[in-house]
Amino acid sequence: MPDTHFYRYDDYDRALVSERVAQFRDQVRRRLAGELTEEQFKPLRLTNGLYLQLHAYMLRIAIPYGTLSTRQLRQLAAIARKYDRGYGHFTTRQNLQLNWIKLEGAPDALAMLAEVDMHAIQTSGNLIRNVTADHFAGAAIDEIEDPRIWCEIVRQWSTLHPEFSFLPRKFKIAITGSPNDRAAVRVHDVGLRLWRNEAGETGFEVIVGGGLGRTPMIGKTIREFLPKDDLLAYLEATLRVYNRYGRRDNLYKSRIKILVHEIGPEKMREDVEAEYAAMKDSALKLTPETIEAIARQFAPPALRSKRTKVPEVEALKLENRAFALWLKSNVAPHRVPGHAIVTASLKPAGAPPGDASSAQMEGVADIADAWSQGEVRVSHEQNLVLPHVAIEALPEVYRALERLGFAEANVGKITDIIACPGLDYCALANARSIPVAQRISTHFAELSRQHDIGDLKIKISGCINACGHHHVGHIGILGVDKNGVELYQISLGGDVDFGKTALGTILGPAVEADKVVEAVDALVATYLEARQADERFVDTYRRIGAQPFKERVYGAV
Amino acid sequence: MAKNLSGELHVASANRLRDGMVVFLDEAGEWTTRLDRAAVARDERSAEILLARAQAEAFGVVDSFLVAVAESNDGTLEPLSLREKIRASGLTFDAIAAEAVRYA
Amino acid sequence: MALFRLNPQAVQEPALTLANTDDVLALGDRLDGVKLIVLHFPKFTDGRAYSQARLLRERLGYAGELRATGAVFLDQLPFLLRCGFDSFESEQKGFAEALARARTLFSVVYQPTGDGRVTAGQLRLRQRSAVAA
Ligand code: HEM
Ligand code: SF4
Repeated sequence: MPDTHFYRYDDYDRALVSERVAQFRDQVRRRLAGELTEEQFKPLRLTNGLYLQLHAYMLRIAIPYGTLSTRQLRQLAAIARKYDRGYGHFTTRQNLQLNWIKLEGAPDALAMLAEVDMHAIQTSGNLIRNVTADHFAGAAIDEIEDPRIWCEIVRQWSTLHPEFSFLPRKFKIAITGSPNDRAAVRVHDVGLRLWRNEAGETGFEVIVGGGLGRTPMIGKTIREFLPKDDLLAYLEATLRVYNRYGRRDNLYKSRIKILVHEIGPEKMREDVEAEYAAMKDSALKLTPETIEAIARQFAPPALRSKRTKVPEVEALKLENRAFALWLKSNVAPHRVPGHAIVTASLKPAGAPPGDASSAQMEGVADIADAWSQGEVRVSHEQNLVLPHVAIEALPEVYRALERLGFAEANVGKITDIIACPGLDYCALANARSIPVAQRISTHFAELSRQHDIGDLKIKISGCINACGHHHVGHIGILGVDKNGVELYQISLGGDVDFGKTALGTILGPAVEADKVVEAVDALVATYLEARQADERFVDTYRRIGAQPFKERVYGAV
Repeated sequence: MAKNLSGELHVASANRLRDGMVVFLDEAGEWTTRLDRAAVARDERSAEILLARAQAEAFGVVDSFLVAVAESNDGTLEPLSLREKIRASGLTFDAIAAEAVRYA
Repeated sequence: MALFRLNPQAVQEPALTLANTDDVLALGDRLDGVKLIVLHFPKFTDGRAYSQARLLRERLGYAGELRATGAVFLDQLPFLLRCGFDSFESEQKGFAEALARARTLFSVVYQPTGDGRVTAGQLRLRQRSAVAA
């Protein structure tokens, strides 16, 4: 098995995670014995990733910076098989959710996770959540620096943070190291963007107060350039300001975005800077040795440059149209010549978006061992990524993915839908999400049509909490409940590409479940008639406005 | 809550503490996974009593509450709301079955 | 309400009781000579007093007794200790036993706070320089 090219736990990390499992085992025992009330126990189980949903407990497992070794992926498959129903759901936040966990079995499942240096710590609760990163990190051609080094530093600092474990509300941090933001840093509580200044140094732009949910907001930059070794001091300062002044009187106003909105970004900056000034030269300053030791572990695999034009690939492209389309949509350039980044689509036509069975997870692990340096990524579009594939191996990788059902050539296309669990699983939902996604993806299954339509992101949430990111979908679909009937509100024009982060605008009255496909069809038809050259759906929308879409949809529905 | 109850049928439901399964309170005061065994309250007053009984039997379950149901002529119970229908009968689509996907 | 103190001999007068909305950085000379500061957790999910505690200990150098009152449960103890609390009011059964174990529940800490514990990061640096030497 190839070596891993990302952070490996040492004895300290391992000790902490297994002590945490022991602590949780004792808490579960006390709850089952009646020594803890549900009210006392709930926050404890939540900080270990255990929710109670409609039909069962759900365990949310952190996949820090979305990076997995094949050993870890196989263990996830084994846990799903042993403690769940043999499948899991990869989420937009680089987590894996198992939907049928038993409370009794949860400590053992967590112990199995700990065996492969993983945990579910802080995947829920009002604290710093799993830190997310660009899923192409370490392989992307446009990358300035691998953001995962910094994610790991933040992961350690945030784990069981004594001061910030009872914040007003959850706190999500995302880091990108590329100008093309693939981590949606402007819609996180804190977004960090690595960039290089004129002096040639890299540092962070610090963006605070973005978020989706009930009150979507785009984050504000409170610092243009933060020296990297001050990252933790600055984060600690930001979190302290939030912990002290964030609202606790109203659940819906408790995120940092509301604080920033109410006091203004200027005041936020002042308060954070004052706190930072007092802490800057404390033990939080990162030493070059500390940074170097972590960075070394993210050293990229030693890939040798290879042929970029491979006759077998060219031949297959001509004879197999699906393969040719797959090369276009699912294969991205790699920084080492002759290599590519392959996205395995977890969105085969008609399937629940983001779900994978244990056998499929194992299949992806086999492929990654054979052709991707033993490494797999989880993307925030709910797909899996093979980050280091040689171009000459693409035909074989394609065939292997095809056998798993993960070779759909639809990445970034209309059927690459993000959907939250919705009313089928979620206790907070108004309406179902997955069946809507399935209907749309079945309707638009035909690949050449999808490629003709081009880049189009549909994002579906089952309620205003916006776990499915509907606000930033080119087409956003939000489930609402009207007198017990599921209706779907459609919005257009959202986006998350860096520099273009935009929130969608509601198109008109919500439509019934069986009209959603028709409505999407009408939107697509409007676009196809109006588009100029190779304009994307969302660009056409921006140019011509909502009116033509509205007429078509509400005329047709 | 009282006014919504009048004239409606209700059962008491909760999730079982040890495994999270959906359970209903039966006539004997036991929690069962079978909706067809659930005790049915037929008026407002008995609904209140049913809820009180459910809350008294809280050991071993989480968050008990009343579920409005309809009863067909043959006595089959069905929750009225979609949420409770889904809670009672499971997912509305086919989840990936454990070993449904094989690869060679 | 039972009281648990790590330093049973410590002087408890004069005492200062604060709400968790008070700005400890604005206390000025009200801190002078104070031997006991009582901080409050209205709910155990309201964590403002953790920040107050750290600011008192680490920024203002307060060295007297620091007491947690209100919704104080044993599962918070590892956090409370790390933020500088050394005295606790709690009604919960098993609190004393938990307090005795709380410092060793986690043998590893990542964050430097004022509690003097050596962080994983610092231990790694020491190991590396020992190897290098
Ligand atoms: C199924 C159980 C889930 C529950 C109970 C749940 C709960 C919530 C709640 C209450 C919010 C709103 C927070 C706020 O606005 O303050 C939220 C937001 C969010 N959740 Fe979930 N969620 C669930 C599943 C998921 C899944 C599966 C994903 C990823 C696919 C996810 C990702 C997110 C994201 C990205 C947001 C919005 C971003 C933000 O926090 O501003 N959640 N969730
Ligand atoms: S958006 Fe709503 S329905 Fe969907 S998972 Fe989040 S909380 Fe549940």
